[in-house]
Amino acid sequence: MTMFMQVFVSGLVIGCVYGLIALGYSLIYKASGMMSFVQGDLLTVGAFLGYTFYGLWKIPVAISFVMVFILMVLLGFGIERGIINRLVKKKTLPIYIVLATIAVSYILQNGAMYIWGSNMLTFPRLFSANSIKIFGVGVQPEALFCIVVSLIAMVILHIFMKYTKYGTAMRAASMDPMAARSCGINVSVSTGLTWGIAAAMASLAGMLIGPVYGVFTTLGATIGRKGFSSAVMGGYGNMYGAIVGGIILGLMETFTSGYISSAYKDLFAYIILLLFLFVKPTGIFNERAIME
Amino acid sequence: MNKLLEKKNPAKHIKSFGFLALLLLLPVIFTAVDFTYGITISCFVAIYVIAVSGIDIVFGYCGQISMGHAAFYAVGAYGSALLSSKLNIPIIISMFIAPVIAAILGALLAYPASKLVFHFLSLATIAFGEITYQLILQSPGGITGNAVGLATKKVNLFGFAFNTSFRFYYLALAFVLLLLAAKTNLVSSRVGRAFVAIRENTHAAEGMGVNARKYKVIAFATSAFFTAVAGSMYAHFVGYISPDTFTNKQSVLFITMLLFGGTASKPGPIIGAIAVLLLNEALRSMENMQMLVYGFLLLIVILLLPGGIFGMIKDLFYKYTHRGGKENAKS
Amino acid sequence: MLKVNNVTLSFGGLVANNDISMEVPAGKIIGLIGPNGAGKTTFFNIVSGVYKPDKGTIVFNGTEIQGKRPYQINKLGIARTYQVINLFKKMTVIDNVVVGMHSRLNQGYFSALFKTKKAREEEKMAYEKALELLDFVGLKNRAYQLADSLSYGEQRILEICRGLASNPQLLLLDEPAAGMNATEKVELDQLMQKILKKDIGILIIEHDMKLMMGVADYLYVLNYGKLLAHGVTADIQANPEVIAAYLGGDE
Repeated sequence: MTMFMQVFVSGLVIGCVYGLIALGYSLIYKASGMMSFVQGDLLTVGAFLGYTFYGLWKIPVAISFVMVFILMVLLGFGIERGIINRLVKKKTLPIYIVLATIAVSYILQNGAMYIWGSNMLTFPRLFSANSIKIFGVGVQPEALFCIVVSLIAMVILHIFMKYTKYGTAMRAASMDPMAARSCGINVSVSTGLTWGIAAAMASLAGMLIGPVYGVFTTLGATIGRKGFSSAVMGGYGNMYGAIVGGIILGLMETFTSGYISSAYKDLFAYIILLLFLFVKPTGIFNERAIME
Repeated sequence: MNKLLEKKNPAKHIKSFGFLALLLLLPVIFTAVDFTYGITISCFVAIYVIAVSGIDIVFGYCGQISMGHAAFYAVGAYGSALLSSKLNIPIIISMFIAPVIAAILGALLAYPASKLVFHFLSLATIAFGEITYQLILQSPGGITGNAVGLATKKVNLFGFAFNTSFRFYYLALAFVLLLLAAKTNLVSSRVGRAFVAIRENTHAAEGMGVNARKYKVIAFATSAFFTAVAGSMYAHFVGYISPDTFTNKQSVLFITMLLFGGTASKPGPIIGAIAVLLLNEALRSMENMQMLVYGFLLLIVILLLPGGIFGMIKDLFYKYTHRGGKENAKS
Repeated sequence: MLKVNNVTLSFGGLVANNDISMEVPAGKIIGLIGPNGAGKTTFFNIVSGVYKPDKGTIVFNGTEIQGKRPYQINKLGIARTYQVINLFKKMTVIDNVVVGMHSRLNQGYFSALFKTKKAREEEKMAYEKALELLDFVGLKNRAYQLADSLSYGEQRILEICRGLASNPQLLLLDEPAAGMNATEKVELDQLMQKILKKDIGILIIEHDMKLMMGVADYLYVLNYGKLLAHGVTADIQANPEVIAAYLGGDE
């Protein structure tokens, strides 16, 4: 029971992180039909920024989080405006845009290494308690915090997209840019904002996983790649599918490595990714076909 | 322009003969000026030219992205190393069998993947690359030496060992000439036209009688073969292989070279491989800046130089030769 | 030559083509007209294999072709052009035409790789034939330019030329006169007459009624996915239902 509970919680932790990343992929895909390879490294940058504000400069945790969010929204917005949108305007082939996001991910990852160094940094604890007991099993409070905050963030995003003026505008812009433009919606700002929100989601994931995994330059790269598996599993472009896919992947990974063997843990996500792409590319939630 | 209808141009023959002579003398020149390290770099250039030319076939000509070509590089390297050491197959033959295996794997991957649009094709190829990497890192029975890697033997042909950079250079040059000739033949044929037609407009290509799926599979398999040949050359040149060489960074490096040099041409991969490797040497002193520079390089090429260096040269040449002319043709 | 029997195709709940039957004989121009959204291009896409009909059969020279892939149908002898220009833009004009010959050429992978004598001869023959074809349509002097650099009207002609390259018995033309000026339209008319002399059947969609009435031997009228009328041009021009459909439509 103890082991089960611990495996279950750590599965949820990484699952929520995959979910947040995949959520970003789905948002961006919905808003601009693009695939971004930057998400994973935005997670890394978010974790490093959180570490700097909270860990180094001792700014209170809530304020640190907000500062990171603001910076990351600007960063995401800037990437879209400064690079992606430019390429779209030049009618660059979509595959070059994908490659451009890879270039940005290299710059972020290695820029982070240049600034913060290549050693693993310890993200300071968020809570004083070492563990809290659930069903008699001790669990790291940061782990619970990660799960709870991720779920709250997902709900807030859902409310934002569904019930606020901005959310409606963003959804409209992604569904039919022409019609949205004629309704007075600034489509380009809304697309940029989507990238910004996706970046903030990634940085949140980074600050939540930082205290559990530590902060290092390749933290996000692997998570980012595996996040694609979650997004495809849930149905690429489907926000709810992204979360479900993330949690399923997280649980499957931790349970296989906990109970069977950890040797092929990293293989898992990619086999699922290939299987879904080849056999059921529309994912669990049957999002519109992603085939030619 | 169509080569078939062109008159034979003697000046061109002299030029290519001179070029070949230069290539043959290169190691001698490097030795003469006491810069033997240049020969080693030249060997690496040869290896990368073949790998990148392979990717050019599938991406530059056929328009299908692969972000997992490090996997085929690995199949070539480990395949040839293992076939020659465990089964005692002569290396020169194992260097052919391993790429054939890679081509079959490429076809098996491309068949289901050919239905996917570019975004998802890139995901599928990344997944394939990662799976291959994990399998050599934690191979069944440790056959690949896992994280430790494998020591490999040098190529030995009829008692002549290609055991120095100087000697290996000529083997590599032969491979480059052979494979580039094959590539040139292929892309200027019915098959190559089908590739380009698929890249330009898949629907119209199908409408004109091109079985798009078949040709995508052919492009992938050919490309895998090329990259695997490069992998096997790498293995038997360096004498030691380990998983580090076959991460997704390697795949991105191949693509960076291709985009930097210019896609869908013969000189593109050559220029790209030379330029990036030279840059690599220049950055040797600050190793952790290397990937950062690659990132900027890739971004700059995509943003400002979509035709790569070769595309830029072609444009300049065109402008120069058509200067003053009325034709204001598009590039 | 082409016989379409009761073809029906629906997308979701929307019936795009409903119970359409028609016949196209060799050496004749058959017109397909109808208001926008009547399902004309959908019908072309069914005949050329882009879509598979839910019901009905398409028989071409005695072979049922419904559900075959586009490249297979091309090989059987049906070529087409597109409403939206679908040329291979970054290929030269002549290469576009040679791609059109794809299903008539034989060189395989390995003969291409090693450039065998046979492959070289075939290539030479193909490019010579392509030049002839370009001469036939009047684009010979453009052979080595990129397809992209042609004028709109020339691009439409090149599409026809590329279609002819596969040596078809039936040519499907989807609005070939769209975007053409008056002179180009006259040239197109002449070109079609020249094509007919090769005993090729033409099925054409066109909005330019003047052109259509002049060239077509027989007309089919589609409205809301259904066959509204068919007959020789004079009968169609006098048909009150057709007139109503056109006046009622937003053409």
